[in-house]
Amino acid sequence: MRLREFEAKALFRESGIPTPQGQVIKVAEEVFSIKNYPCTLKTQVLTGGRGKAGGIKFADNVQEAYEHAQNIFKLQINGDLPTAILIEPKVTIKKEIYTSILIDRAYRGPIIMASAEGGVEIESSGAIEIVPIPDGKYSPYLGRKMANKLGFKGKDVLKYASIVEKLWNVYSNYDCDLVEINPLIIDGDDNFVALDGKVTLNEDSMGRQPRFDGQLAEHLTDLGEREFKGKMLGLNIVELEGNIGILCNGAGLTMATMDLVFHHGGKPSNFLDVGGGANKEHVARALDLVSSDENVKVLLVNILGGITDCVEIANALKYYKDTRPESKLVVRLVGNNEEPAQKIMNDAGIPMTNVLDEAVKQAVAIAG
Amino acid sequence: MSVLIDKNTKVVVQGITGSMGKTHAALMKAYGTQVVAGVTPGKGGQEQDGVPVYDSVAEAVKETGANCSVIFVPPYMCLDAALEAIDAGIPLISVITEGLPPQDAVKLHAAAQEKGVLVNGPNCPGIITPGESLIGIHPGSIYMPGRVGLISRSGTLTYEIGLGLKQAGIGISTAVGIGGDPIIGIDQIKSLKLFEDDAETDLIILVGEIGGSAEEDAAEFIKDNIKKPVIGYIAGRTAPPGKRMGHAGAIISGNKGTAESKTKAFEAAGVQVAKTPSEIVELVKAKVSVAV
Repeated sequence: MRLREFEAKALFRESGIPTPQGQVIKVAEEVFSIKNYPCTLKTQVLTGGRGKAGGIKFADNVQEAYEHAQNIFKLQINGDLPTAILIEPKVTIKKEIYTSILIDRAYRGPIIMASAEGGVEIESSGAIEIVPIPDGKYSPYLGRKMANKLGFKGKDVLKYASIVEKLWNVYSNYDCDLVEINPLIIDGDDNFVALDGKVTLNEDSMGRQPRFDGQLAEHLTDLGEREFKGKMLGLNIVELEGNIGILCNGAGLTMATMDLVFHHGGKPSNFLDVGGGANKEHVARALDLVSSDENVKVLLVNILGGITDCVEIANALKYYKDTRPESKLVVRLVGNNEEPAQKIMNDAGIPMTNVLDEAVKQAVAIAG
Repeated sequence: MSVLIDKNTKVVVQGITGSMGKTHAALMKAYGTQVVAGVTPGKGGQEQDGVPVYDSVAEAVKETGANCSVIFVPPYMCLDAALEAIDAGIPLISVITEGLPPQDAVKLHAAAQEKGVLVNGPNCPGIITPGESLIGIHPGSIYMPGRVGLISRSGTLTYEIGLGLKQAGIGISTAVGIGGDPIIGIDQIKSLKLFEDDAETDLIILVGEIGGSAEEDAAEFIKDNIKKPVIGYIAGRTAPPGKRMGHAGAIISGNKGTAESKTKAFEAAGVQVAKTPSEIVELVKAKVSVAV
């Protein structure tokens, strides 16, 4: 779950990382309480490219600020309309740096990633330095090591390392996938200040991060309607543009089934992995969700039960067929508890296909 | 022979009184796995389907000689359970649990590496040596014993392939479900090496998926180290970029982790790449002249 800039900066400040003295406004009229000019108004959306899209503006006086605020509140960026604007006094920038901490697969653990040049396209620039954090155990020398790599000398080494250590505290205390300051600036008084902040919390870990209880829904602005509903139901769903609804168990099998639909000339309308060990109610909700897409002409169900009980799936399919007798289903259901499941399917009058390729071809033929 | 587990493997199930642990301990036992002990702290002295339950892994090891642990405990208790198994001297741990926080996974794998412990998973179906031993949640009846080694990031897709092979009369030496998380213990390279050194494996199937660079790394390794034929498959070749496809690790970020890059790497290493699960079976059939 990605946090908005002002939320990320709140975590930074609590950890001791300096940020500009900002104020969050929820309606444009709040700008009349802003005293410090010139200032920067920044839209608080959960998407990149805010500046380019016109979501960051400078104002020299209250009238300008008011105009900008009114416009920014109306400006939708990648489907995300802001509910807040962060207003900060304009700062003097002597130097811009990029610094982040994230888990890297290749290092099998967290790394510090930094660049002596901050900026928007930092990931694609060549000037990236990396310091791995061995075994996920932080020690202050790692921040100093990065400071050396970035070319800092003397007191700046200590100042920079202190920022990195505090950033690590945010990363580890809140189970983050990513903490990033871009840019981290050196201001007119030679202090390091986080001018922007990006924090992504690990969703599997949120159950032990009570601070963020109940906040997931309002941070999922980049999802389609069914993806959003799916997430709330604990389903892995990705919306696609075709007309064959897919419901499988397990990510790999779901991907393989999706690939196979394309392979046989069809177009899936979604990728839906009900996960392992799904019960009847869970699968029924998943079926309802997939079929709520009006483009769906046929539902292709491919379940290979290991931890999943085929009887639970069969009962969900029976419910689905009972409530939507006109719907088209192609079902392949094998594995754990297969035989009683077959009986339920027979009694419900739902035909089954045991071979995956056959099932996919049938679905493609029905979808036309 | 086989890799990692065989009929002599003595298994302790951590979390044996939970619903997952209970169900799968019974299934493993029914398959013929030597399930010698269970552990649920606070429930020592009880029995679960004829398996003695202990309060600690150390006790279980002392009383039963268990040399492999399968972990079914909830995600936030998983690191502790694994550290306990490592401390008790268990040399092979399979973590079935899904949703382990990544920062816990880092600690788990660091501790395992320090002690030379092999960790399978997390978020994996476990390992099966058909006809001998099953640890984890593989449906045992889907596989038959044979001489093909199977390595896979996905559970159900592994079953799909095992089933297809069985229907074609082809058996498995061992199937290793390595897990779908970004940070795992026994990875593709480790598994490849085990199968290369296994006298009872003639051919290796490597089932990968989009995301990360594990397949590219495996391909590099195959070039220099694997003489046995390898057949590859990549799931998710039609996945849209930037979307997490179920597994935490299955996401194309920028131009990294694509099926094209993985397929290319496989082919450059002499790995035949199947486009569909059933094509894997066809390719294996063509290679295995002597049916087992």
